[in-house]
Amino acid sequence: MKKIAFFVLFSWILSSCQKVVSLGLNQTAPQFGIQGIISDTAGPYHVLIYKSVGFYSGNVYPNVSGASVSITDITAGITDSLTETAMGDYTTHTIIGTPGDTYQLKVIADGTTYMASSTMPQPVLLDSITFDNQTKNTIRAVVHFQDPAGTANFYKYSTAVNGVVMNRFQTFEDRLSDGRYITDKLDNDSSEIKNNDLVRVSLVSIDSKVFTFLSEAEKVAYQNDQLSAPATPISNISGGCLGYFSAQTVRSKDGYVKF
Amino acid sequence: MKHFKQLAILLLMIAHFVTKAQIKEKFTVSGIIKDKATGETLSGASVSFLQIPGIGVTTNSYGFYSITVSPGKYTLIASFAGYIMDTTTIDLTGNKIVNLEMTTNTHQLKEVVVSALRKDNNITKTLPGVQRLSTDDIKNIPVLFGEKDILKTIQLLPGIKSAGDGRTGFYVRGGTTDQNLILLDEATVYNASHLLGFFSVFNSDAIKDITVYKGGMPAVYGGRLSSVEDIKMKDGNNQKTVISGGLGLISSRLNIEGPIVKDKGSFFVSARRTYADLFLGLSSDTTIKGSSLYFYDINLKANYRFNENNRVFLSGYFGKDILSLKDRYSTNWGNSTATLRWNHVYNRKLFSNTSLIYSDFNYNINILSSNNDVKVTSHITDYHLKQDFNYFISTRSKLDIGLDATYHIISPGAATVSRTSSYNPITLQKKYALEDAVYISHEWSVTNKVKFTYGLRLTAFTILGPGNLYSYDQNGKVIDTATYANGKVVKTYFNPEPRFDVSYQLNEISSIKFSYTRNVQNIHLLNNSTSSSPNSLYIPSSLNVLPEIADQISLGYYRNFHNNMYEFSSEIYYKNLQNQIDYKNEAQLLGNETIESQLLYGNGRAYGLELYIKKKQGRMTGWISYTLSRTEKQINGINFGNYYPASQDQTHNISVVGIYKASKKWSFSATWVYNTGNAVTWPSGKFPVDGVPVYLYTSRNGYRMPVYHRLDLGATLEGKRTARFESSWTFSIYNVYGHANPYTIAFQQDPKNPAQTQALQTSLFKMVPSITYNFKF
Repeated sequence: MKKIAFFVLFSWILSSCQKVVSLGLNQTAPQFGIQGIISDTAGPYHVLIYKSVGFYSGNVYPNVSGASVSITDITAGITDSLTETAMGDYTTHTIIGTPGDTYQLKVIADGTTYMASSTMPQPVLLDSITFDNQTKNTIRAVVHFQDPAGTANFYKYSTAVNGVVMNRFQTFEDRLSDGRYITDKLDNDSSEIKNNDLVRVSLVSIDSKVFTFLSEAEKVAYQNDQLSAPATPISNISGGCLGYFSAQTVRSKDGYVKF
Repeated sequence: MKHFKQLAILLLMIAHFVTKAQIKEKFTVSGIIKDKATGETLSGASVSFLQIPGIGVTTNSYGFYSITVSPGKYTLIASFAGYIMDTTTIDLTGNKIVNLEMTTNTHQLKEVVVSALRKDNNITKTLPGVQRLSTDDIKNIPVLFGEKDILKTIQLLPGIKSAGDGRTGFYVRGGTTDQNLILLDEATVYNASHLLGFFSVFNSDAIKDITVYKGGMPAVYGGRLSSVEDIKMKDGNNQKTVISGGLGLISSRLNIEGPIVKDKGSFFVSARRTYADLFLGLSSDTTIKGSSLYFYDINLKANYRFNENNRVFLSGYFGKDILSLKDRYSTNWGNSTATLRWNHVYNRKLFSNTSLIYSDFNYNINILSSNNDVKVTSHITDYHLKQDFNYFISTRSKLDIGLDATYHIISPGAATVSRTSSYNPITLQKKYALEDAVYISHEWSVTNKVKFTYGLRLTAFTILGPGNLYSYDQNGKVIDTATYANGKVVKTYFNPEPRFDVSYQLNEISSIKFSYTRNVQNIHLLNNSTSSSPNSLYIPSSLNVLPEIADQISLGYYRNFHNNMYEFSSEIYYKNLQNQIDYKNEAQLLGNETIESQLLYGNGRAYGLELYIKKKQGRMTGWISYTLSRTEKQINGINFGNYYPASQDQTHNISVVGIYKASKKWSFSATWVYNTGNAVTWPSGKFPVDGVPVYLYTSRNGYRMPVYHRLDLGATLEGKRTARFESSWTFSIYNVYGHANPYTIAFQQDPKNPAQTQALQTSLFKMVPSITYNFKF
């Protein structure tokens, strides 16, 4: 917030200028990445396996096929072996997400084993969503919910507009807000939400390690110019890969944008 | 404290011993050297006798000198850069007081007279790594918005680097911005910048001079690793009342000075304010229209001389920056300092100064948006007592002894909220510490060619209760909490800081100098973002954060040529740094009681070569400075524990400054700066997180920002000068050829084509013209 304020004023007063520059960036060898999610909403759930690309490549990531992937509910003692339903997309069969249970992801690919575990937090209800158009030309969703007192809660917001999930995420933790009634404005570009759109916002409860990964990823994705030393977000998956595995709960609200 | 008493006794014994070494039957000439027109005392002026070449003394910070020689008839010579040399004949048959008043040579026609003697001050007098500038020296150098600024000008000297457009602070010999000890009339100024670094807090109208130490700091200074910027405010004209000021496009200044009692006391009041935010009202954007962005500051000083032996000074500074975005956000921050000093001459050889100093930096943040409101306040406050003695033993020997005690109170932050806020109120515990020091320093000219300055500063940093002090395991988890009562000593860090300088004069025009300095720093600034926001987070040394230590050696060669028209210096330095602080990747510095769990520690090293050539006389004056340097860090947990370039590492750095006096009315100036870009961390790939490209980084600070360069031009037109009124116009253009120097480079999804990513460079200041009108009556 404060950074935005500084920037708005400075860019205006000092008539700063922006231009796209071409930089000679090194390209590291493609790195292995996993994104696995299990939630308390209806399955099946997906584990995506991909490889990183260079900065100046398109935002299309090579899929990794032929991996052996399983998710185990350690608390209940149930294992589900996933099937590759599309290139690099591994799908569950029977496993269901239960808040409070700990889940383990195991991926074997190219002879390397990657492991992660994540405990599904109790769901937190999303009270309501409203919309804000105070910032010029941009409509933004505002979430309202009660943070449970006495526990450390970690959240991710995700948004879908007219049924299409927005490529954007935002994190929040109750470190400085434990037990408060939370009102939080979601960031997006002016083109993303328009008048009369149907917007669904999901309040996703995540565990602390997933939060650490996602909040670092959020800073790297959106504020990398303000970090004195940006670094690759540290995965909660062991074995040396990118990405994360999250057991999470999801509560959503729909709303029509009317101004 | 017991150690201190013992040490103090020891120091006094040494002092006694050194004094005993004198021979009988000598007399002392002492006095004050002043500017004739204004009555300002001149510190750093040389005093010597024509009959005894090769020896001499320099006036101290208060213009006092004392020189002891055998009886006889002498011609006393006083000289000071920018002034006409003054001589007076004395018949020394007993102790004598000789106060001298010197006249500036700037407005005089008969400039020629002076050159005969000693313009080679730099060869004989200066220490390695020391540079002194008066506001007169900088008045013609063009700067941003035409606001002459002493802290901006020193960044054109070798070894001192700008942190960049729109960045607060400067780097000295590889140090970070918080490792500079910036003193205003002895008071520590914690945040020396206004408007996020575009201006310094030092209104040049109120400043007499600045002395910059990059190395070889005398033992009187301590507390920061990299440099000392000792800035002195003007005392005020004790001859007549003068009103002066300036009107600029973005700011204006007004000063009033005059005698309290003629020749005995004077006062000085100076104020300035920027009004760039008036333009905000013209904006069509309602948010910007209701916003503000400005600063103001006030300098005050008064002094009174009760008699030959007693003089008191009271000086103060108060400044504030205000920035607000309508209905959303407001913040203000500022420094306040106050210094009360008493000069006392015990006898003709022993000069004493006692100072009581107060210094405070605070910031307030107010987030106004409904349901998310938070009000944060934060302070760092120092109460400081300082006692210095200058003992002018003989013409060859001078002793400085003193002690220092500072009580620090750091309030890292208290947040208050309304009932409907999304945040909880929070008060981070205050931190208390006592920083004590005793020092001794001896200046000794062994022969006419060899001079030693050596000394020792002993610091004791005591962490005091009340408070909880935490111990952490390797992962930053609190494993132990110790609670201390009010005033209880938690821990004391003792650190001896030896200082040593030697200079050898090769011949009339050249000399070599060597110095070794150890500095210790116990107040640390945390900031893991590149933005210049003022919400600085200071922490004292603690059980986890150890005192930072720097050892520096430097070697210099100095030479004047062309009958002292040119001055050349070259210095090399090597600096080793211990207990340096860095941050974990996921470091959370905001509102964090266990902030020390977010830190990493390690070492640093910096080395370089500095070349400087200055033309001092003639119509065309100026200098060229070049620095070749390297600054590296080694932090456990970063870059596999290997050395990597620090972000302030700039390989090449060049400044060219030229001032041309075309006529009595017109003078022109130009500066050109060029430096290698800072070391930065850029992505070497990307991967998707929830469909968003997130970047992959392989090595810390493995890339370089593009090269920075810029040309500024300035012109000054002097108006008609009458006995009662003087005026001038200053025109300047910053970044004449409009080079787009990067402020930031952001990596982001291409807004026009989400299937691609791009690097977007933001630049500030593409050519900024300005005009200022200055007056004096």
